[in-house]
Amino acid sequence: MSEPNTNPRPRGEMDRRQFVKGAALVSASSVAAAAGAYAQVTAPPAPPAPAPQVPKKPLGRTGLQVSALGVGGFHLGVPRDPEEASRIVARALEAGINFFDNAWEYHKGESEVRMGKALKGKRDQVVLMTKVCTHGRSKQVAMGMLEDSLRRLQTDYLDVWQIHEVVYYNDPDLIFAPGGAIEALALAKQQGKVRFVGFTGHKDPAIHLAMLAHDFPFDTVQMPLNCFDASYHSFETEVLPEAIRRGIGVLGMKSLGGSGEMVTSGAITPEEGLRYAMSLPASTTISGMDSLSVLEQNLEIATHFQPMTGSEMEALRARCRSLAADGRMERFKSTKFYDGDLGREQHGFPSAKELPL
Amino acid sequence: MPSVPTKPFGNTGVNVSALGLGGHHLGDASDEKTAAAIVREAIEGGVTFFDNCWEYNRGKSENWMGKGLRGLRDKVFLMTKVCTHGRDADLALQMLEESLRRLQTDHLDLWQIHGVTFDNDPDLFIRPGGAAEALAKAKQQGKVRFVGFTGHKAPRIHLKMLATGFPFDSVQMPLNAFDATFQSFETLVLPELNRRGIAALGMKPLTGKAEPLSKNILSVDEALRYAMSLPVATTITGMEKLDVLRQNLKIAQDFKPMSAAEMGELRQRCARLAADGRFEHYKMSLQYDNPEARLAHGFPIDPEQREVKQLLQEAKNTGSPYPE
Repeated sequence: MSEPNTNPRPRGEMDRRQFVKGAALVSASSVAAAAGAYAQVTAPPAPPAPAPQVPKKPLGRTGLQVSALGVGGFHLGVPRDPEEASRIVARALEAGINFFDNAWEYHKGESEVRMGKALKGKRDQVVLMTKVCTHGRSKQVAMGMLEDSLRRLQTDYLDVWQIHEVVYYNDPDLIFAPGGAIEALALAKQQGKVRFVGFTGHKDPAIHLAMLAHDFPFDTVQMPLNCFDASYHSFETEVLPEAIRRGIGVLGMKSLGGSGEMVTSGAITPEEGLRYAMSLPASTTISGMDSLSVLEQNLEIATHFQPMTGSEMEALRARCRSLAADGRMERFKSTKFYDGDLGREQHGFPSAKELPL
Repeated sequence: MPSVPTKPFGNTGVNVSALGLGGHHLGDASDEKTAAAIVREAIEGGVTFFDNCWEYNRGKSENWMGKGLRGLRDKVFLMTKVCTHGRDADLALQMLEESLRRLQTDHLDLWQIHGVTFDNDPDLFIRPGGAAEALAKAKQQGKVRFVGFTGHKAPRIHLKMLATGFPFDSVQMPLNAFDATFQSFETLVLPELNRRGIAALGMKPLTGKAEPLSKNILSVDEALRYAMSLPVATTITGMEKLDVLRQNLKIAQDFKPMSAAEMGELRQRCARLAADGRFEHYKMSLQYDNPEARLAHGFPIDPEQREVKQLLQEAKNTGSPYPE
C-alpha cells in the first residue's frame, strides 16, 4: 500500500513484538491472578483456592485465548451511574473474562469512554475489540473513527477491529468498493494500530457469506448464535462451519434474543440459552450485561460451564423450532427493530421508527 | 381486437395469459357488479389466468369471482389456494369443497398451498397427514388439474418446499425489480423452477403496494414489463378498478420483452433502495404475515392489523361477504 503513515509515532516490528509479549502476559497474568497475585514467585506451600474462572478458548488462528463469555459494550453504556460500568468490568476481570466488545457508535461514544476508564491500568490483560461504523462510507471516515475509538478507550492499539452492522444487501459491495472500509482494515493492521480485523452483522447469513466470498483475510466474524437461530435464517448452519473451515475466530452474540426475548417469553432459561451458545464452536459468546446482578447470573453459568452434549443441544433446538419459525424471537433478523439509525441514515434509508416492524 | 399474449404453463402443454388477475383485489372492488365487470373485461382483453384464495376477504373474493365467471368458466385457467398453514390434509379437502362451491365450478385448473411463510412450513406440509396428501388426492380425484404452492417470505423456504420432492406443477413468488437484489426469488428460486420445468408464477410486480410508483422510482409500464420479461408463465397483479385493469391490459397487450440491458438498468436503479427491504415489507416485517397463518402456527397476532380486524369480526369463515 502506498498510503502515507500518518501515525505520529511510527510503529514497526518493535511494537509487534510487544504485542506478542503482551499476549503471553495475558494468560500468565490471569493464571497468577487466579492463584493470588504472584503467589508462585514466593512458592507458598498451599495457595488459596482460586475463584471460579470463566474458561478460555482459542480465537481462530490469531494465537489469542479469549474467555468463553465476553462483555458486550453496548450495555455498559446503559446504567445511569457510570461507576456501575467500572464495577462490572472489574468483577468480570476478576472472574477471568478477558474479551471486551464495543463499537464507535454505542451511546454516541459513552460505551467506549466508560470501558476505557474501567480498563485503565488493565489494558494489557484483555482482548479489546471495537467496531467501526462507516455503514458504507470511505476508508478515511473509518480511520478517523479508529482514532476516536483509541482515544476514548485510552489505548494505542486494538486487539480486534471490526466493521459494524453489515446488515444491508449492498453492504458487501460498498465495503469492498475502491476506497471503501476494507482498505481501512488493511491499513490499520499494517500500521500496527489493530492486531486483527473482522466484521459483524445480525441480519442474514447470505450477507455474511457474501462478505466471506471476497476472500479478504478476516481474523474474526461476529454473528447471532442461539438455540433459535438454528431453525431460522441460521448463522449456525450456514456461516459458522464456513468460518471454522477458514480458521476465522467466531464471536457469538444475541444468545438470549438481543433483549432477553427468549427468556422473558418463558421459552428458555438464561442457563439454557447461554450454555447452548457457549457449546457451539465459537470462541466467545458476547453478552450485554447492564448490572452486576446480570453479570453474576452469567458468571455463575460460565464459571461452571460444561458443554452440552450433542443430544442435549438437539433437544433444545427441537423444543425451540416451532417458536422460531416466524422470527419473532430473533427480531434483529426478522424486523428492522435492531437496525441502528446511523447505519440507516448513511444508506439513505428512513429511520426504522418510521416503518412497520 | 388486441389480446394479452400467452405463455406455456411449465411443462404441462397448457398455455396461460402472461398477465393474471389477482383474486384479493377483486374482493376489494367497490361492489359485486364492478367485480363482475372486471372479470368480463379482463377475459375480453385476453386474460385467462385467474388467481384466488380460500381466505381472501373471508371468502368474498371467491364468491365474486364465481359469480363473475358464470358462463365463462371454460374460458379461463382458474386457480385458488388452500389455507391449511401447516394443518391436516382433511382440512385442506374441506376447504377445496368450499372453494369449488364459491367459485361455482366442479374443478380447478390449479390448486396451490397458500402462504408458505414460516421456516417449519415445508416440514408441516410433507409430514404424514399433511397438506401434501390433499394435493395428491384432489389431483387423483380430478377435482384439480395441477398443484403448486405460493409464499412471499423467503427464497430459502421455497427451496425447502422444492427439496421435499413433492411433484409441484407451479410455484408462485414475488418477482419485481426490487426483489432482484434483496433476498431474491429471481436469483435463487426462478432458475431452479425453469430447470425443473415447473411453471413460475410471478406476483407483486409493483411490490405489493405500488410504493415505487408513488415515489416515482418506476413507472407502472417499467415495473410490469420487468416482471413479465422474466421467464415466468404469468404475472399476477391485483386490479380492483376498471381503469387499473384497462391500464394493465394496454401494457400487456403491447408487451415487448425488455432487453437484458434495460432490465439491468432497472435493477441498478432499485438496488440501493432495495437493500434494507422496506420496499418489500412482505419479506421483512412480521406485521405483513397473514394472521390466519400466524394463528394456525400458534404465533401471536396484532389486533391493529386490518386482516386481524376482519378475522375478529367474522371468526367463522362462512364465505359470506365480510360485513363492512
